[in-house]
Amino acid sequence: MSLWRRIAIFLSIMGPGIITANIDNDASGITTYSVAGARFGYALLWTLIPTTVALIVIQEMVARMAVVTGKGLSDLIRENYGVRSTFYMMTILFIANFGTTVADFAGWAASMEILGLSKYLMVPLGALFIWFLVVKGSYRFVERILLVACLLYFGYVLSGFMAKPEWSRVMHATFVPQIQWNAEFMMLSIAIIGTTITPWMQFYLQSSIAEKGIKKEEYKATRLDVFIGCGITDIVSFFIIVTCATTLFPLGMRINEASEAALALKPLAGNYAFLIFAVCLANASLLGAIIVPLATSYYICEAMGWERGVNKTFREAPQFMWIYTFMIVIAVIVILIPDAPLVFLMVLSSVLNGMLLPFVLIYALSLVNNKKIMGEYVNPKFYNVISWGTIGAITALTVFFVITIFIPAGL
Amino acid sequence: MPFFGELFVSDILKKPILDPKGEEIGKVRDIVVIKGEPFPKVSALIVERKKRLFNLPWNNLNIFNKRIISAQIYSDLLQHYDYSETDLLIVRDIFDKQIVDANGVKVVRVNDVKLEGFDSAAILVAVDVGMRGIMRRLGVERGGEDMMRLFKKHLPYNLISWNYIQPLEPKLNKISLTVPRQMVSELHPADLADIISQVSHKEGASFFKGLDVETAAEALSELQPDVQAAIITGMDTDSAADIIEEMPPDEAADVLSDLPVDKAKEILEHIEKDEAEDIQELLSHEEDTAGGLMTNQFIAYRPDIRVKDAIEKFRKDAEEVETVYYLYVTDADEKIMGVISLRDLLLASLDAKLSDIMKTKLKIVSPDTDEIEVAEIVSKYNLVAIPVVDSEGYMLGIVTIDDVVDRILPPEAKRKRRKV
Repeated sequence: MSLWRRIAIFLSIMGPGIITANIDNDASGITTYSVAGARFGYALLWTLIPTTVALIVIQEMVARMAVVTGKGLSDLIRENYGVRSTFYMMTILFIANFGTTVADFAGWAASMEILGLSKYLMVPLGALFIWFLVVKGSYRFVERILLVACLLYFGYVLSGFMAKPEWSRVMHATFVPQIQWNAEFMMLSIAIIGTTITPWMQFYLQSSIAEKGIKKEEYKATRLDVFIGCGITDIVSFFIIVTCATTLFPLGMRINEASEAALALKPLAGNYAFLIFAVCLANASLLGAIIVPLATSYYICEAMGWERGVNKTFREAPQFMWIYTFMIVIAVIVILIPDAPLVFLMVLSSVLNGMLLPFVLIYALSLVNNKKIMGEYVNPKFYNVISWGTIGAITALTVFFVITIFIPAGL
Repeated sequence: MPFFGELFVSDILKKPILDPKGEEIGKVRDIVVIKGEPFPKVSALIVERKKRLFNLPWNNLNIFNKRIISAQIYSDLLQHYDYSETDLLIVRDIFDKQIVDANGVKVVRVNDVKLEGFDSAAILVAVDVGMRGIMRRLGVERGGEDMMRLFKKHLPYNLISWNYIQPLEPKLNKISLTVPRQMVSELHPADLADIISQVSHKEGASFFKGLDVETAAEALSELQPDVQAAIITGMDTDSAADIIEEMPPDEAADVLSDLPVDKAKEILEHIEKDEAEDIQELLSHEEDTAGGLMTNQFIAYRPDIRVKDAIEKFRKDAEEVETVYYLYVTDADEKIMGVISLRDLLLASLDAKLSDIMKTKLKIVSPDTDEIEVAEIVSKYNLVAIPVVDSEGYMLGIVTIDDVVDRILPPEAKRKRRKV
């Protein structure tokens, strides 16, 4: 096969992996990295490497299942583990994802406010835009828009360079692990993994590959798609940390939100850095606000056996479209109500996500090892060692993560 | 005959199976089904005992119902069972599978499977695809019902009859319907009746509450008399009256005539007066005569009305009446004088009087004419309806061709009398 032909095949297959991994850096992800950089400088950079490895291992398995079975993750869970586990999982996931959707709209609202636009105008407009995109668009079209939006993430790389860090120190911190034994440090390092590997990603990735209808023969291209996606997403995280660590950390500035990071950058790194941060946050938030409700619609419809897919119309897949619509509408209302308990919702959602993640991963791993489902595509032995190790570590960390949420930071 | 009645598979899963002495020989783990006519039937239970699986053939069962399952044999005679890919198991192979319609569109998943006793076998009659099935699997069906009652709603039954399911093969990963999805939700009332005649009477009644009054009325009239009676008896008087009122008087009378007298009276009292009188009149005739078949809804005008006015009136009156192909002409005493077909009415000049265009040589039957004779007359003269006239010439009602055909050739749901 000629090189060009291979590239052409890859270009037609790529999408789900890159999009899923990138949107992982949604509003809450960006917040976590900004806070981590501002609070601890370069000290947390090294955690990105094991996180990336874990992300790749998990996403690859999920992608493989999608290609081999042509079904979504909750399809497989329902068919193999029955209605009980599926039902509870779906209910908790729905609440958790609703919280994530609200967080993404909150990120969009905040970024619009610092850019001087009223959230009462921009939140409904943004919601309308993403609603039209999915309800009226085809999968191909939506995917292209999302891929273009993913390019915007490179703004963070740019801002990283504009901050002019000392590269030798950055590299040192990236490849030489260091641990500070205090609660906040531990909590942030766990939070980095917690926001990078989420339950909804696994469902979305598998569903979108299944909807794209990628064949077994093309699996190598899908794997490359996943690898590139995971690589890019952590490079972006890396530069967010670097930017905040270079500019905000030396001054001891504490921030709590991604939008605060953008504002703080204005006097320090100039107007461009501010603009990049604000626009990228807006972009990431809106992407998250598309994908999280979409993932939710996918897995609920899969579990119930209803018709689904971006390619379908309201008439063909009414439940799918209604769940998507419902989540967006309610999230917008919550954001626009003054004094709505946003913080509570977001904390609740990260606790639920953290609690569910081990279960989702264990289900995924036992499905991917089921010969009846996967045939010759089950995990090789050595791969299982890595996967179980990864899942064990993530489980332990998410348990910590959930605990730390209940213990006030600085204790 | 180990099995009477009906049950959902999830009701008996994990239930203990007793030997003749009442000792537990194991718990129900799964059910093996084989092909059968017309529906698949149960061939064995898979029993779990001390973490091992055994095969308990259907013929070795003594009692099989929701509360008690007992075997004729003792645990030491049980055959060991190994999962085999060629067996078709309800829990492993049918539960939670995707159901797609005839066009391959995903509809819903199998939430539960319904069994029913038939000729000493247990057959698979329907799959439960509704919320009720999910709740039953979660063990909260009762709770769900109570909760819906708080909102004054009924938890609907959502069953798809096995009639609409394509034959199952081992190793299946989806279940196909023989009809497109739209048909499942918009089934013709006659098909609905088909489904209802396959669910229990109590469920049939609940099923009815989920339908709108109009559909319910149509579906009810398609059912066999004892099912009709059981369903109406199972409903509260108000909702029963609503449905009966919606039915044409002749069909309403049929339903009421099968009810206990008290119940019928009670329902009649809840029905609008005019309608109730019509029904009462019909109730006085023998069921297999013209009087029993007839409806007293028909259109009749005086002879001196002009065609123009008749058409105008007809537009209003026809809405209420089932059969409108003939317009009858009666005198002031309601004695029949003639008949005008709809076609003749529309083709006549607008200024003509009805008496000018009516046909006076008309075929009539008396209320006690036998139904077969009525059928013969209708067939011989190619009529759509025939007037029923008493000995003094008063017009009592009409017998329409659809009622005649129903009598001679009953629809399946009416014909099949399943005694359970």
